[in-house]
Amino acid sequence: MVTRPKYDDGTEYLSYYASLILKEANKLNIIYKDFPGKQANSREICKYLKKKNPKLIFINGHGNVDSLEGDKGEIIFSVDKNIGLLKNKLVYARACHAAINFGKKMVYGNEGCFIGYFTPFSFWMDSRHSAIPSKDNLAKLFLEPSNEIVSFLMKGNNPKISDKKSKKMMIDNIKKILVMEEKKEPGATRWLEVLWNNFEGQKVIGNEYLSF
Amino acid sequence: MTEEENKIKKEEGIKELVLARINFMPSNYKLSIGSEGTFTKDELIQQVSAGSEIGNQVITMQMNFIRALTSGKLLKTINQNG
Repeated sequence: MVTRPKYDDGTEYLSYYASLILKEANKLNIIYKDFPGKQANSREICKYLKKKNPKLIFINGHGNVDSLEGDKGEIIFSVDKNIGLLKNKLVYARACHAAINFGKKMVYGNEGCFIGYFTPFSFWMDSRHSAIPSKDNLAKLFLEPSNEIVSFLMKGNNPKISDKKSKKMMIDNIKKILVMEEKKEPGATRWLEVLWNNFEGQKVIGNEYLSF
Repeated sequence: MTEEENKIKKEEGIKELVLARINFMPSNYKLSIGSEGTFTKDELIQQVSAGSEIGNQVITMQMNFIRALTSGKLLKTINQNG
């Protein structure tokens, strides 16, 4: 199951990158449920979760220490709302800060796993391409490694391996940026700071051997 | 100089360093910081100068990276994952 609201620059990019995962799922013949744009609302998502009980959940959007949001900032899951629906599930939340408290509460006392961030999930974009995320090669340096997590999970790898593969790609991108920095690419150091922020903030909480 | 004055001076120094580093950015780049929004170079300079929550997040990101770089943590991580 994938949630991908699209109502500002940030969610526009996350939604596009989540769509790449859906294409991959098609190739792998994985049946999925997509909640794009306005469909990423609490009522529809919870109805689906109760009825179909999906095992792997990929959440895109804004978040904070205690909650994860859907369309236009609606809280879909929080420490006080709908968290029980995620019991024993494998969740990757591409959102800010939710690993700090929400993730810990989500896996408490069950066999579930939460992959998310202790830091604000951040990325640079090139405003010359911000209307077309697919053409923005700068944003790719930050968003492709996060897609790696779901890509590996879908292929049956456990969260520990998927996190490692994602971080390996982050390091490869850090190396690419270091080369650009040597060639005096303006702004390259700022990119490193943000990629390092995502690298350090990305954590696996709970059952790191759970697989899809 | 009192301890408090020292702390203020140090914070001002860090802010100036961060602002100088942002100033070097080309203006076509924007930073997306989760639900806080997306910020241009000029907006980042405003946020850091004003000492807002966003500004402080940007300072934290830069300082964490500088610490990782100077302590050897970044190099060690690259070698372990490379």
